[in-house]
Amino acid sequence: MRRLAWVILPPILFAVALLAAWQAWVSVREIEYYILPPPTDVARALAGEPGRYAEALAESLLTALSGLVLASTIAFALAVLMAHSRVLERAIYPPALLVKVTPIVAVYPLLLIWFGFGVWPRVVVAALITFFPMLVNAIVGLRAVDTSALDVLRVLDASKAQVFWKLRLPSSLPYVFAALRISVPLSLIGAVVAEFLSGAGGMGQLILIANGEFETDVLFAAVFVLAGAGIGITAIVSYVESRVLGWTQAERQQMGA
Amino acid sequence: MTAPAASRSSAATGAISVRGLEHVYAGADGPLAALAPVDLDVREGEFVSLVGPSGCGKTTLLRAVAGLLEPSGGEVALLGGTPSAAQRARHIGLVAQDPGLLPWRTVEQNVRLPLEVTGADGDIGAMLRRVGIDGFEHYRPAELSGGMRQRVALARALVHRPRVLLMDEPFGALDELSREAMRVELLRLWEAERITVLFVTHAVREAVLLSDRVVVMSPRPGRIVEDVAVDLPRPRTPEMEEAPAFLDAVRRVRAALGVVSSPSVLGD
Repeated sequence: MRRLAWVILPPILFAVALLAAWQAWVSVREIEYYILPPPTDVARALAGEPGRYAEALAESLLTALSGLVLASTIAFALAVLMAHSRVLERAIYPPALLVKVTPIVAVYPLLLIWFGFGVWPRVVVAALITFFPMLVNAIVGLRAVDTSALDVLRVLDASKAQVFWKLRLPSSLPYVFAALRISVPLSLIGAVVAEFLSGAGGMGQLILIANGEFETDVLFAAVFVLAGAGIGITAIVSYVESRVLGWTQAERQQMGA
Repeated sequence: MTAPAASRSSAATGAISVRGLEHVYAGADGPLAALAPVDLDVREGEFVSLVGPSGCGKTTLLRAVAGLLEPSGGEVALLGGTPSAAQRARHIGLVAQDPGLLPWRTVEQNVRLPLEVTGADGDIGAMLRRVGIDGFEHYRPAELSGGMRQRVALARALVHRPRVLLMDEPFGALDELSREAMRVELLRLWEAERITVLFVTHAVREAVLLSDRVVVMSPRPGRIVEDVAVDLPRPRTPEMEEAPAFLDAVRRVRAALGVVSSPSVLGD
């Protein structure tokens, strides 16, 4: 119990101290409301119309998740092909790298032309931004097989499918989850940036409107909502990872011992 | 067990028959001859060790026999057929220095792997008892000691009842006490089953204690320089390491390896 308090209390106390300092600073210096509203106002904006934020966040999360699932599926399928063939890897890697280094903002007008003004260009942005981490990690993971285990399967005349399902796929999972820990929060960033650029949908649109009307408290509330959502979805990934990959923790403990 | 007629007739010609086997690796600094032309015969049910210094090609030879490596030249016959035919017939069991267990599987699931792959039947519980790891079915490899993991690897290599067991320095990564225990365990197992074993090691006394024959290889490119028959009764026990026949065999292996054979260096 005391140990738990040691874990939980310091960050809470620090956050409370920061908020108090913010509140005091704003009232002592009489800072204009539209430049920096006090945290009480931000809380009031949030509590006043929670549905507005919840709806916008749900739309952003749906866009982010759609893009993530789309990109991760394609990236993993490509990684399977590339992990089995150096020729394919050499062929596919440069255009994949191109996708990574190209600023998505620069591509967005094209996406609008190709995919229209609906939700699709936003989904594609979330997909493009999460594609590369999954591709690279999955290739490494699918190749990171224990050679002794592979030899055992080979002398048993295991088929390529058996080697894939029994060895390669499980071996790649720690790398897939490492990619997800990066790409899940990235997908939300991608979705909001796309909404911001298109001026339509989710938290991006909410921020644009609040900005236009100098609702600085709403802007702050939106930032906190997005930060909270980012932490939340990352925590979900970590939880799923710990459930699926319990064995890697045993391995890590072994190495530490 | 049902065996194809072709492999049954191999009892006469030998379980393993290697003729003019050579191998050249494409190294970074040009080709590297790992194995000079080598001939080797192992009878069915015989326990043969390959002993030699590091880089003498003993692992290359074993991998060629297992069908894991396509040699540059020569012939390998395993149970009368090619190594790939022996793989397809599920006649091969393999244990390497790295146990190569699947960390996400429990002990029991690891030992089941060959049965899943081959569709064969096997008594996993009995297999675990025979290698002395019953009671650890639900442990994961990371929770086991090195010696225990190697027992699991041995159980996995034997569960589908192979006719040839190939072992590549299986105890090389173990501490001396675990090594000693594993030797006794392997002797007990093998003396009950008498399947053909090709055992790669660089430990002379280990090779002599376990084997019917110790085949000594020279440094790169590896060739066979001596073939020492071990004249000790079965079942073998660690106490036999004091027997004159044991010491004589050790002396002959060491002489072939080029190690000075004075009594003071006989201890490992």
